[in-house]
Amino acid sequence: MNDFLELVVSAAASGCIYALVALAYLIILRPTSVINFAVGEWAAVGAFVGVAVLTPLIWPRLEGPYWLAIIAVLVILGALGWLVELLTVRPLVNKGASITSPILALLGVLVVFRETMTILFGADPLPSPPPFGFNRVAFGPFAGASQQFLIIGATLALFAAVWLFFERTVWGRAFEAVALNRRAAALMGINLRRVTAMAFAAGAMVAGLAGLLMSPLTSAHYMMGLPLAIQGFTALVIGGVGRVEGALLGGLVLAFVEQLGARYLPIPSGLTLAFPFVLLIVFLFLRPSGLIAPREAR
Amino acid sequence: MSRLLTPVLWLVGIVAASALAFSMGGYATDVYRKLLIWVALALSYNFLFGIAGQVAFSHFAFAGVGGYAAVIFAHKLGIPFPIAFVLAIMLCATLAFVVALPSTRLEGFYLALATLAFSQLVLVVINEGGTLTGGTGGIANYRLPPLLGFDIRGPWYTVVLVLIVAFTLWVLLRMDRSSFGRACRAIRDNAVAAAAMGIDVRRVKVMAFTLTSTLAGLAGIGYAYIDNVINPPVFGLDNAFLLLFMIIVGGTGSHLGAIVGTVLLYLAPFVLEPIVGHGFLVVFGILVVLAILFQPAGLAGLLTRSPARQPA
Amino acid sequence: MSAASPLIAVSGVTKRFGGLTAVEDLAFDLFPGEILGLIGPNGAGKTTMFNLIAGVHQPNSGAILLDGARIDGMAPHRIAEHGVMRTFQHNMPFAGMPLIDNVLVGRHTRLRGTLIDILLGRRRVREEEASARQKAAELIAFVGLDQRANDDVATLSFGEGRLLEVARALAGEPRAILLDEPAAGLTAAETIRLAAVIRDIAARGIAVLLIEHDMHFLLPLAQRIVVLNFGRKIAQGTAGDVTRDPAVVAAYLGEAAGGFGGRNLNA
Repeated sequence: MNDFLELVVSAAASGCIYALVALAYLIILRPTSVINFAVGEWAAVGAFVGVAVLTPLIWPRLEGPYWLAIIAVLVILGALGWLVELLTVRPLVNKGASITSPILALLGVLVVFRETMTILFGADPLPSPPPFGFNRVAFGPFAGASQQFLIIGATLALFAAVWLFFERTVWGRAFEAVALNRRAAALMGINLRRVTAMAFAAGAMVAGLAGLLMSPLTSAHYMMGLPLAIQGFTALVIGGVGRVEGALLGGLVLAFVEQLGARYLPIPSGLTLAFPFVLLIVFLFLRPSGLIAPREAR
Repeated sequence: MSRLLTPVLWLVGIVAASALAFSMGGYATDVYRKLLIWVALALSYNFLFGIAGQVAFSHFAFAGVGGYAAVIFAHKLGIPFPIAFVLAIMLCATLAFVVALPSTRLEGFYLALATLAFSQLVLVVINEGGTLTGGTGGIANYRLPPLLGFDIRGPWYTVVLVLIVAFTLWVLLRMDRSSFGRACRAIRDNAVAAAAMGIDVRRVKVMAFTLTSTLAGLAGIGYAYIDNVINPPVFGLDNAFLLLFMIIVGGTGSHLGAIVGTVLLYLAPFVLEPIVGHGFLVVFGILVVLAILFQPAGLAGLLTRSPARQPA
Repeated sequence: MSAASPLIAVSGVTKRFGGLTAVEDLAFDLFPGEILGLIGPNGAGKTTMFNLIAGVHQPNSGAILLDGARIDGMAPHRIAEHGVMRTFQHNMPFAGMPLIDNVLVGRHTRLRGTLIDILLGRRRVREEEASARQKAAELIAFVGLDQRANDDVATLSFGEGRLLEVARALAGEPRAILLDEPAAGLTAAETIRLAAVIRDIAARGIAVLLIEHDMHFLLPLAQRIVVLNFGRKIAQGTAGDVTRDPAVVAAYLGEAAGGFGGRNLNA
């Protein structure tokens, strides 16, 4: 039984990371219709920023406090997201290019980020210290590493914040408006360029935080971006592109299927790698709108 | 640039490309052979992505299916090679058709994701295939058996690969310069208008996907006998991205562009890696972004700068 | 001019989108060789009706018959195969092809060569291609675009794009052609050309259904006119009948000064 409960905690933590990446996709996708695969690389950048701030392994070798790492991630990723939008997406939108152009351009960006990280940080995984140490913690019957609970808590807090942003703030409503009808939103005076820039910056920040949060468990590694991008996108498809809650649900469903399946299904462990792809295919074909229906009726 | 691809030109091209094979040492031969396979893959992918407008990440997976199927049928199951070859091609075509049927219902980039998921599944199956597929280590120690009494070795195998490229190009040119090619482009440019003109969009998409993926399978079979080793990593996502980049940089939708882009991006690392290490991939990524932003016609567009387009 | 039985018969057609009824209990006939105008204020349901005939939407009730056989609910490409072609309100060219190829796509339904025939290089395919090219060249000249035949469609003016729409739809040698505001954005010269083209099409026995806002263009051209408002037919008849109909005038009173241009047409 304890086994199972530990698995639940582990799956919840993984699911939260997937959910955050899915959220990053969603924040960018909704107002711009652009699927930005580089979010995986942005998570990796977040992990490396964490290592740079918290440990002596990478310049500037600060060995600083955790709140500094968080701020560094937000600032650096926010700037990167804004910059990528400015340099690669905006010119294409201004030219009136089709929607696939920015998506493909972002694949180029993905490779640039990944290889730059390899060059800067080398090929070896770099460990990142968990802010609450390596001790095991228990909340009632659920026990796990302190970092896992931090991930869950932080994810819930972030999701709540983003949900409130979309539901209750003027800028959040602007995002929604742009997502529903770009032209009408522009006619109503919403600055499309600013919304797009904000979407990319915010998405990058969320992805960076995901990387920062997961790095104590998985280390920072230049290869971590692409699998994360795939898992995050699968979570997005499962949960449904329309709602913030969908990203959270999708991430949790994916992680639980992955880990419970690996543990309890009588199949060779290698095959469990197939789960995200099977789920992606199932949902793409059978339930493309995801588990939570989008807000607007089609 | 108008080109009449007369039989003479084809013959000259094939002979020239083959002659190269006879003048090369061992290392250059290996590079040249792999380059030829990449060119074959790029040509068929260019049709699927550039002409039919389907962003797919399954091309290398089908190459893998073709290669593995041929090797498994011929060397693990002991089927005579000609039959094994035909079976492998048929398996590829069938699988491509099965994948295409639901996938072409998906809009835009969701097709890309479905094909990506499919290609990763293929990899997992290969990796977990135990003794049949050789698992993560792959299969080795097989050779192309004598065909029609000839033992195809050395530069003659390179000629075979040249013929595969020529065949692929020939099929694609036929497909392109016809009502089918126009239908593919029409769907790419405006699927609603294409349907209004009487084009059965689903059917054309499925045919384009199936045909080009089968051609990929053929290239995969050619690949399997270069080193007489076949293993999973080459059929993975990194190469799928690279193939896409070759097409974009070379010139999306242009056969010449596919060749130019592939030759450039395949050979560049040999030159660049000693100097900048992994940095060459950064260069590729930047080239892709630049191509999309400023020169959608790619390098081919720069080479064939002419106001009038080639008729289809 | 008109045959005894209609080529296209619309009867009792209703189309709802969610809570909005776009077209309600609409009925009219389209005869071969006639030019039938479809007019009405914005939002009256004209383009919806086009889309219903062209197979883009399926009616909630009623039937659309082509030569007595039902085509409502058929997919757009099948309807095109049956000889009903359409143009779009906003230019929808195939941007990646030169102009002549755009027109050649319109001929798709007439090219019977299959992919196997193409791959085997069958003579029939080559012959069909050659004759298709010739026909396309003729059509391009017919609409006055022969100078632009090999040009990139991105270089076309808006008016030239409208003419391309018409040429493309004609390339399939349809029995009926649905023209959605073909005169919008045309210069005076292009408009005159277009009117001549449309008359020529009808003279060949093709049924023409024409949506237009420009009354100066439509009234002299259309033999009969159907007037829609809020999805319902409010009048039908010749140009003279319709311009004098009080219900029609009332419907247009809210429109910009254009309306009927203040002209009182007697024919």
